[in-house]
Amino acid sequence: MGEIKKIKNLKEFSTSADRFEGANLLCPGCAHSIIVREVLNATNDDLVLSASTGCLEVCTAVYPYTSWDASWIHIGFENGSTAVAGAEAMYKALKRKGRLKQPDREPKFVSFAGDGASYDIGFQWISGCMERGHNIMHVVLDNEVYANTGGQRSSSTPIGGSTTTSPAGRVSYGEKQNKKDMVAIMAAHGIPYSAQVAPNKWKDMVKKIQYGLEVEGPVFINAMSPCTTEWKFDPKDTMMISDLATDSLVFPLYEIIDGHKLNITYRPKTVIPVEEYLAAQGRFKHLFKDEYKHLIKEWQERVDKQWEMLQRREEAGV
Amino acid sequence: MSMENTGWDGFEIGAMLRSFDGPAKDIALTKQEDRNYSKNNSFTASVADWRIIKPVFNKDYCIDCQFCWVYCPDISIISRDKKMLGVDYDHCKGCGICVEVCPTNPKSLLMFPEQKDTEEAIAEWPEKEKKEK
Amino acid sequence: MAFEKMKLKEIEVWDGNMAASHAMRQVQIDVVSAYPITPSTPIVENYSKFLADGYIEGEFMMVESEHAAMSGCIGASAAGGRVATATSAQGLALMMETLYQASGMRLPIVLNIVNRALAAPLNVNGDHSDMYLTRDSGWIHFDAYNPQHVYDLNFIAFKVAEDHDVRLPAIVSQDGFMTSHTAQGVRTLDDDTAYNFVGEFKPMNDMLDLDHPVTHGVQTEEDWHFEHKARQHNDLMTKVFPKIEEAFDAFEKLTGRRYNIVETYHMDDAEVAIVCMGTSVETAAEVAKELRENEGIKAGVIGIRVLRPWPYKQLQEVVKNLKAVATLDRSSPNGAPGMLFNEISGVVINLDKRPVINNYIYGLGGRDLTKVHVAEVFRDLKANADAGKLTTPTQQFIGVRGPKLSYL
Repeated sequence: MGEIKKIKNLKEFSTSADRFEGANLLCPGCAHSIIVREVLNATNDDLVLSASTGCLEVCTAVYPYTSWDASWIHIGFENGSTAVAGAEAMYKALKRKGRLKQPDREPKFVSFAGDGASYDIGFQWISGCMERGHNIMHVVLDNEVYANTGGQRSSSTPIGGSTTTSPAGRVSYGEKQNKKDMVAIMAAHGIPYSAQVAPNKWKDMVKKIQYGLEVEGPVFINAMSPCTTEWKFDPKDTMMISDLATDSLVFPLYEIIDGHKLNITYRPKTVIPVEEYLAAQGRFKHLFKDEYKHLIKEWQERVDKQWEMLQRREEAGV
Repeated sequence: MSMENTGWDGFEIGAMLRSFDGPAKDIALTKQEDRNYSKNNSFTASVADWRIIKPVFNKDYCIDCQFCWVYCPDISIISRDKKMLGVDYDHCKGCGICVEVCPTNPKSLLMFPEQKDTEEAIAEWPEKEKKEK
Repeated sequence: MAFEKMKLKEIEVWDGNMAASHAMRQVQIDVVSAYPITPSTPIVENYSKFLADGYIEGEFMMVESEHAAMSGCIGASAAGGRVATATSAQGLALMMETLYQASGMRLPIVLNIVNRALAAPLNVNGDHSDMYLTRDSGWIHFDAYNPQHVYDLNFIAFKVAEDHDVRLPAIVSQDGFMTSHTAQGVRTLDDDTAYNFVGEFKPMNDMLDLDHPVTHGVQTEEDWHFEHKARQHNDLMTKVFPKIEEAFDAFEKLTGRRYNIVETYHMDDAEVAIVCMGTSVETAAEVAKELRENEGIKAGVIGIRVLRPWPYKQLQEVVKNLKAVATLDRSSPNGAPGMLFNEISGVVINLDKRPVINNYIYGLGGRDLTKVHVAEVFRDLKANADAGKLTTPTQQFIGVRGPKLSYL
């Protein structure tokens, strides 16, 4: 405890004792639990966790079962961040007052929430937690849709995605708005650390989580979480889709330290065309019709522009 | 589970659940087999009936790379001391990710129908694929 | 960081907000998570000043909304310590979702509600429409009629809520401005006596007990939900009153000040009575005394001290010999008889002998309830008692301009 867990390679990582359990009710092939495992296994520290209402929450604490081996709380859809911030405040108070039951241990406080609970309904609560400087980490399981309620669009849904409330149809190509840039918004709070991660890049994930848990103050992590049900791909292909996402640079991996210093943490050896990423998912199937093919070109241009921007920010070093 | 017959007066207030029976120190350093799970921990439940296909492990080809361990969503790859030991069929949902990420040739994990006998499956294991030039 | 105790005069001149603030300081709350809103803002401000001056050892989360305030309270309370906050009106309405979550998780949070009307139209003054929202939320609810009550009931609220046989959150309500901003003499307890009355917080199912991980806030569907809700109702119905009685007795022994689940004024031989809450109780009691002297009306007043759990049996004892009862609701019922009318009617419905009951809607948005209004109500009651039946419409509005409003 108090020391950063040594994880040199995957073999060493595999000696971790999971604190997240199976026989939860997440879909086969769900990336949420892969991400949760990577986050929890990045540390041996005691943990106090929360989850906002969403897939992770409704699948891991359905009475009479819990899948959590650390203390965990769920209140509602919008307030998981504030729940864990309240627990962190209590920890500080009891520490000062000498009333902790295990005074020599320093638990880490982590909240998990989907993109709906983070980008949309819980946006204000997270912003408040970040601004107040709680020593907590908020991890978004970003599957770009309200998956728990059957696939409605959120402000994380990308242009062209077909969802149940932005369906592709005779006269529509699906979602019209571009994805909200949450990492930038959170970094703008001046927090010590914000980063984007993906489950296929486990080492990058572990490094960022370890940094985030060590740093004093609020941390924001956006974790790309491919959704077999709503992105419409075969459950076995979760990691393949993850690879396409990171290697096409649709989900670039980077970190922002102290609200401004940006580092790109993964550069694909071969950058894959965005078209391949889109083609692998049913939610973008309609984009391959003749009348919408220009949108694929626009996607590529958008991704290129974003990558250019990230590289220039990194070079600037400010 | 006996809780299903429990009346309103038989539960913990607030629908609170405990992960373990009694104190559980150093959980992050305690393997599953050494933990005192409570009956409310989903570890004690099974999702085996979700599967129609299952991964079968063939240790002859395994290089203990642990890709299957890290990418298994269901904590169903049993690895101990850096060695892959097998599949936890109580918790495996049959997604097939482990097979997809297995880098050996032939693969050390392959999907078979749920009813398939393990020894039979291993007897049918494919040969090493020749790389096309 | 050491914190200083404060030396108080035996009698301080405090308004209700200051009384609540001092009670919160004295019980050494571990986490206050709060957001300011008129008229409860001074509670949050006073507490901030106590913190700035070194009188608070606990944490203070100054959050970005009332919903977040209660969310922070829930997280902190589940972590295992003493927690409280304060709010009013729109803030309470925004917080509403989390009140059910706090009580459903059986977290002993104390909430000071400083009553204020609900918009629209926007209004910052006191009426009871905000606190009426909380009736079914599973919280214990104490009502204060003046700053002294606010101070005293806060201690009682913590003591009862945190009892391991209870473990339910508790509201202490006071009237916006009439109580919250009206300074009166308040008899104080010294810091140690106040703290010792409530005692050290005893954690239960606390998330910060790292060797005993707990899961809070699970999902229960049709196969479990009913049992958990039934348990909560049962505990409210059967476990809370004995603990409140115990706390009232202990408080009387300590201070000489007596509180009762149902407060009664001039009720010993009363034939007619007004049932009401908040500052109106004292007004009504004064009028009852005057009418007894001046008009020979055997008038009495029943004050609801504990709104939840609803003191059904206690009220039966008080109303069973009355001939007429007026229920005064300071909240627009918007298409129904007032809450107190309905609930008092429920109290008497199965008695052998029932008083005639009518309903008055008054004081919305801070409109004064004058002694003249109350006297009129008592005269209506006298007529009803003499006739043995209603001589007025069931529901009347009092103190509103325009043609007389009455219904049913």
